[in-house]
Amino acid sequence: MSENMSTAIICCENISKKFGTKTVLEDISFTVDRGEFLSLLGPSGCGKTTILRMLIGIEKPTSGKIIKNGVDITDVPPKDRNIGIVFQNYSLFPNMDVYHNISYALQFRKMEKEEIEARVREIIETVGLEDHIYKKPKQLSGGQQQRVAIARTLVLNPDIILFDEPMSALDAEIKVVLRQQLKDLQEKLGITMIYVTHDQEEAFALSDRVMVINDLQIAQLDTPYNIYHNPADQFVRRFVVDHLNQKIKSIEDVISEEKK
Amino acid sequence: MRKTTGFIRNEYLRLISIISIILFAIMPIFTLIFHVKPDDWTFVLSDSSFREAVSNSLLYTTVSAVITTLLALISAYLLNNANLKRKNLFVILLTLGMLVPTVSVGLGLRLLFGTNGFIDLIFGIEIEVRGIIGLIMGSVMTSFPATFLILYDAFNYEDKGPYDAANIMGIGKSSTFFKLTVPYIRIALISAFFACFTLIFSDYGIPMEIAGKVKTLSMYLYDQFMSSFQYGRGSIAGFVLLVPSVVSFVFDLLFKDQSVSDKQKPLIEEGKGFSVVAETVLILLFIVLFLPQMAFISLSFTKAFPNDLSFTFEHILSIFSNTHGVGLTVYIRNSLLLALLTALFGTIFTYGLGYLSVRKPGHLGKIVDLLSLSTIAIPGLVLGIGYIFLFKRTNGTFYGTIMILVTVNIIHFMGSPYLLAKNCLNKINSEYEIIGETLGISKGRIITHVLIPSSVSTLAEMFSYLFLNSMITISAVAFLCTYDNQPLSILITTYEKNSNYEMQSVISLIILFLNISARALLSAVTATFTEKEGAENDIGKGLTRYEFDLLTYLEKNGRGHYSQRKLADDLTITLSNAERIVQDAKEKDYINIVADGSMEVSEKGIKALEPYRVRKAIILAAGFGQRLAPVTLDTPKPLVKVNGVRILDTLLDALYAKDIKNITIVRGYKKEQFDQLLEKYPTVRFIDNPEFNLTNNISSAVAAIDMIDRCYICEADLYVSNPDVINKYEYQSNYLGAKVTETDDWCFRKHNGYAVGYQMGGTDCYQAFGISYWNSVDSEKLKYDLLKVYSSRGGKENLWEMVPLKIAKKNYRLEIRKCHKADILEIDNYIELIAADASYATYPGYEDYTVR
Repeated sequence: MSENMSTAIICCENISKKFGTKTVLEDISFTVDRGEFLSLLGPSGCGKTTILRMLIGIEKPTSGKIIKNGVDITDVPPKDRNIGIVFQNYSLFPNMDVYHNISYALQFRKMEKEEIEARVREIIETVGLEDHIYKKPKQLSGGQQQRVAIARTLVLNPDIILFDEPMSALDAEIKVVLRQQLKDLQEKLGITMIYVTHDQEEAFALSDRVMVINDLQIAQLDTPYNIYHNPADQFVRRFVVDHLNQKIKSIEDVISEEKK
Repeated sequence: MRKTTGFIRNEYLRLISIISIILFAIMPIFTLIFHVKPDDWTFVLSDSSFREAVSNSLLYTTVSAVITTLLALISAYLLNNANLKRKNLFVILLTLGMLVPTVSVGLGLRLLFGTNGFIDLIFGIEIEVRGIIGLIMGSVMTSFPATFLILYDAFNYEDKGPYDAANIMGIGKSSTFFKLTVPYIRIALISAFFACFTLIFSDYGIPMEIAGKVKTLSMYLYDQFMSSFQYGRGSIAGFVLLVPSVVSFVFDLLFKDQSVSDKQKPLIEEGKGFSVVAETVLILLFIVLFLPQMAFISLSFTKAFPNDLSFTFEHILSIFSNTHGVGLTVYIRNSLLLALLTALFGTIFTYGLGYLSVRKPGHLGKIVDLLSLSTIAIPGLVLGIGYIFLFKRTNGTFYGTIMILVTVNIIHFMGSPYLLAKNCLNKINSEYEIIGETLGISKGRIITHVLIPSSVSTLAEMFSYLFLNSMITISAVAFLCTYDNQPLSILITTYEKNSNYEMQSVISLIILFLNISARALLSAVTATFTEKEGAENDIGKGLTRYEFDLLTYLEKNGRGHYSQRKLADDLTITLSNAERIVQDAKEKDYINIVADGSMEVSEKGIKALEPYRVRKAIILAAGFGQRLAPVTLDTPKPLVKVNGVRILDTLLDALYAKDIKNITIVRGYKKEQFDQLLEKYPTVRFIDNPEFNLTNNISSAVAAIDMIDRCYICEADLYVSNPDVINKYEYQSNYLGAKVTETDDWCFRKHNGYAVGYQMGGTDCYQAFGISYWNSVDSEKLKYDLLKVYSSRGGKENLWEMVPLKIAKKNYRLEIRKCHKADILEIDNYIELIAADASYATYPGYEDYTVR
């Protein structure tokens, strides 16, 4: 890891979130480092998506502060945060082709037409969609759609991209390929990515660090290696370590079956 | 906690919507209460004619609603389960009754039955329809379409999977009907019955025409307001009218699932026998339902029924004369204006309500939803009288203007379009607004750029519903219109009073005609909007290449006997393949094989070919034709005659022969001479390219860029000797080429069937002829790339075909469409011209040119 890893890009301080009387998150604090790939892992309804929505700015914490690059952004509207988001079903604009999905946000900024085009073409090449510029979302595969969704955020040069379970709608085999592509892309761009998932393997395969969330709190925030070898509590052991061990065992079974 | 401004703005809009619905829908009903005096109650409750009216109304409404619901159930079931070819046609026919006012149906019944009616004249049978019988007949006919649609939709969204399972397990049809269909349809059936009941109960068009001496509740209300001016007593009748619709509304709210789920289509189709029965029943039903319409249509063209039965246009033509005071044209204008304004504002309003109640709704959103739905429960009659009370004081500014009619119509009919909008917006991904927020795109732009383009067909449906209903309504408008803004439908009721059957018939016919036209126009507009979308979606899902080849072959050669051997030879496929493809096409109903063994393309086959039909041709004819000087000094090359025929005529004839008549010619050099083409080819259009002598032909292609879509792009100097180089259908984008052993001309090589390596001169290659076809997707790419190259530095120096074949070739896969070299005669220079037509050997000035 490079030396600027040490500087934090996001700093969440004592965040709590209530919906009416229901508490979803209680007094959590964490930092995200520049260029890091962080996964938020936990069972359904544990509040991981709420963290994401607060980072993007469509939910406000009931109490606590969100600091980005040293600036308090708790009350900054989404468009001024310079954070991009990719949703589970990608939410591409169905009536626009790939080019216009990506260029749409630029059309309302003070930019020359040529400048926009150059920028969009550059992004299209970065994510490898040159052959699909004129296709509509319906004509693309799931993986291609995901790349369009990423490109759509990249075009605004965000500091951070958030992912809300982007692989859960895909086939198991494709997931593995896309994971690699996403990892490669992150290494190429050096951009900070925060990734919400309930899939333990996915979190471990992709992340520099994993944040395991349970019972309104952060159960553990550490590297995959440390979590696997030193789970913080009973929940982490059960939810993460046991699950992964089972997977490994079943893979070993398959291998030994084949050897016979 | 800070809220975003967009959020606050939406909350304001929600508040405004809530207030406007309360003001225009709820308040009018409540004001009725204040206009009922205590002695009105005592009068009405002791009024024997009121009690009679209530019991009559309950009687005929119940009987009619039961009959209608049963008929609707049977026809919806038959239409959904029988294996019928033209389901949509049946739906249109069975709902034709929605296009005329209920008074017109009543009128038709009177013309059919009774003394001197059509039935009396033809069969000599007199039936007194006025009274309960007529009320029931009329009510069934007028309420059938709406009831049928509710049930048809319900069946349509039923999952057909369990039926397939039952069928495979050998469970009989009657058993599946009671075990599967009935439980599924139960709620929809009750809901349809209530809706039907409400419709009949509050209608006064039918009673007005056909009740005779029988009193009904709606007529009681109407008389209290329009003849006795007893507003308080009328209001009491209004409350009673409200009861069934409130019951119906509450039932729907509690039980009916208004969301729409995806259904599974049946795998197993019904056998033919059942379908024939179903078809017969449905056709008979349509005929019966259409009889009243037939009656008033006939009367409109009869001189003086029943004494003089000769055919005449007299009544129709009297529309334009002033014999009836102001002439009908004024009323036609009133009706159209009212319907258009209602449809326009109503669509915007209800779409807005749908948006506000579905997209991030919050608590206020739920109130918007409930209030919007509640308007369904208000009968038009009651709404109309409420408006009199509430808005009378605004006389001149609102009351008495067309805007109060528009408002009352929108409120009266907004329930259905609101539901359409809500369902449509519900299905559109809810995250677009969030994406917009993070990208800095406002909610308004997301609405105009994403949501509205995704709801075009729903918007058209909403518009059409509001338009048609405000064309035919008489209930609320009757109380509110003035002499100046009276619409056609109200005029019928005026003529009803003086028993002028001819005028009533003619007006009914006009309304029917206007509504049919409006419907056709709207579906044509929607079709052009959605056609492109469809064409894009069809990629990869349409016909296979083999199917395409077979169908175009049969389409071209017409019905006849084709042996497998002949097909295999002509389509250059193996015999076993031919057998398989024919079998396949037969199973998909793309072809009909008649008993005598002859074969033809079916209607479905033609439909399947439609996405591949060549829509237009663009001919690039701006250039000078230097190498044909001196002839081209006088005449542009495309118009030079070879053996007496203009070169361009050979191409235009070939296009016309394949019914491609949307032809754009880009002209430049001596452009006025092209006008002579119009005489023989009237559909040709011209685009001028003023840059023709400064640039290469890319400027001509760019001049016609808006025309590029599913089209041929042709050079203008091809002497076409075999018109079959033009096809009616093309499977994919392609470029015409002829296999040659050697050429000095532009040519390409073939790689997996596609054109590669475009270059000047080559051996063992395909010589390129300037006719290419561009499908929907490639057209879009081509437009984009042409403009890009054209606007780049030095881009104007290019031949247009360099863009797809060389400069941006990686964006395209162009198939080589094979022809023979002799199919097209190339006349590239003066010597070749003389070779083709010896008369040019002595053209004035030829000496300077032949020796080059």
